[in-house]
Amino acid sequence: MNGGTSSPAYFPASRPWTEAGGMVRLHGSKCARCGVVAFPPHPMCPSCGAERGQHVVELSGVGTLYTFSEIHIAPKGFATPYAVGYVDLPEGVRLFGQIDAKASELKIGQQVAVTLGPVRADTGGAVISYKFKALAEGNAKGIA
Amino acid sequence: MTLAVIAGAGMTKFGKQAERTIEDIGREALIAAMKDAGVDRAGIDEVLCGSSYGGPLIGQRILRDLGMTGIPITNVENACSSGAAALREACWAVKAGRADVVAVLGVEKLTKLGGGTLPLEPTDVEVNLGNVMPAVYAMRARRYMHETGATARHLAMIAVKAHEYGARNPNAQFQNRITIDDVMASRMVADPLTLYMCCPTGDGAAAVIVTSEKRARELGAKTVRVEASVLQSGLYKTGFRDMASSELTERTSRLAYEAAGIGPQDVSLAEVHDAFASAEIMYYEALGLCHKGEGAAMIERGDSGPGGRQPVNPSGGLACRGHPVGATGVAQIVEAVWQLRGEAGERQVPGAKVALTHCTGGGISGLDHGACSVHVLTS
Repeated sequence: MNGGTSSPAYFPASRPWTEAGGMVRLHGSKCARCGVVAFPPHPMCPSCGAERGQHVVELSGVGTLYTFSEIHIAPKGFATPYAVGYVDLPEGVRLFGQIDAKASELKIGQQVAVTLGPVRADTGGAVISYKFKALAEGNAKGIA
Repeated sequence: MTLAVIAGAGMTKFGKQAERTIEDIGREALIAAMKDAGVDRAGIDEVLCGSSYGGPLIGQRILRDLGMTGIPITNVENACSSGAAALREACWAVKAGRADVVAVLGVEKLTKLGGGTLPLEPTDVEVNLGNVMPAVYAMRARRYMHETGATARHLAMIAVKAHEYGARNPNAQFQNRITIDDVMASRMVADPLTLYMCCPTGDGAAAVIVTSEKRARELGAKTVRVEASVLQSGLYKTGFRDMASSELTERTSRLAYEAAGIGPQDVSLAEVHDAFASAEIMYYEALGLCHKGEGAAMIERGDSGPGGRQPVNPSGGLACRGHPVGATGVAQIVEAVWQLRGEAGERQVPGAKVALTHCTGGGISGLDHGACSVHVLTS
């Protein structure tokens, strides 16, 4: 990836997200023909097969934790243990990602927010990507 | 509909064999299967070789030193289903009349990878973010437990049962008995999966000789019939997918039951893809061996263990026989052949008439699994 030390590396390199007001909104693609939303943005619709008409849309910054785990054995570059999970967004997209929390603090069904941060170390330093952070109860909409 | 028969079976002991070459490991299994079938080098028309990490021309590299060259050799890669997918090609090659006698080999040497979780493809989005195979299964397990009330103790019971069978299998990587407390106290790999709930990495090979009923009679071989050989791939879903059940295994096994003209109740024993203890429980349901949500009850009742209604993984399964990825699908068939011939020794399922083998795997984001294969064999 990025061999230099001055600028961080990102995954995906295209940085499919927008940061505004402390909120991170991932970019997905929405098919003009069937309406299916996919992440990361797809050049073709993986649902109906449409070859064009995939429009970039901003996805919700908050989703519901479908399931999770805490990984204790991982490939080089990942600092164990780390929590991971699948997060369901209202647009019908399910995202895999790391969660800034301990597994013992997490519950299926809770709200989590999209954030950015280091997910692993590469030869050139930290790799920044999207990940999740737990939201306090009753604070599902209040992004710090 | 009988596709073909298995006229010979053989395998190496599974386990860490770092001092041997993969070619040597493969040859041992192939020679054992050929001797079992009573077929010599000149009697093999084609070879199918399943391997996931064996590298280019794995089949040719194994066969060269046996002088078995010049014939069609096809190498098949389909992750954990590599060996089973190779068998499917062999069955249909015989059924279609393209070949009379086909040798199927599954072979892998995982010690060369140096341990840890299996390396996955760096182009995959989830792999880049730190997903590993144990976590894939752990997240499914947690959701399954959330929806059904199954507990980590049930997962531990699966591991204990696997070791009870492993202790009866001289080819198994693990042949020791363990307790529920041992499983619960073993170190965490991916919460809620502890070490003893995870299959090991190891080396090994398995082989079978596939032919027609007519040719098997000429050879004087003991035969087992292949009544179904089905391969499917996972469906890509960008959105929500029920991770507390396996659509892919349900679909593949349904097609296999239809092809064989049987139902789950007819299965005497099953070899299923218990890469992790939670998966075995979920596959009881997906294969129809019990009702939805009753997987934990099935292990609690002892239905899938020694003396049970439908023993599952009498070989010890991936958990104890071991899981040299590409070899597993063929090793399951070898176990099924021995069970159906009444040659499984201490782990013999009494009166076994119908065996089902199920191999599924491949970590690829958005899919249940990359590939799933189900075979139905009868005595």
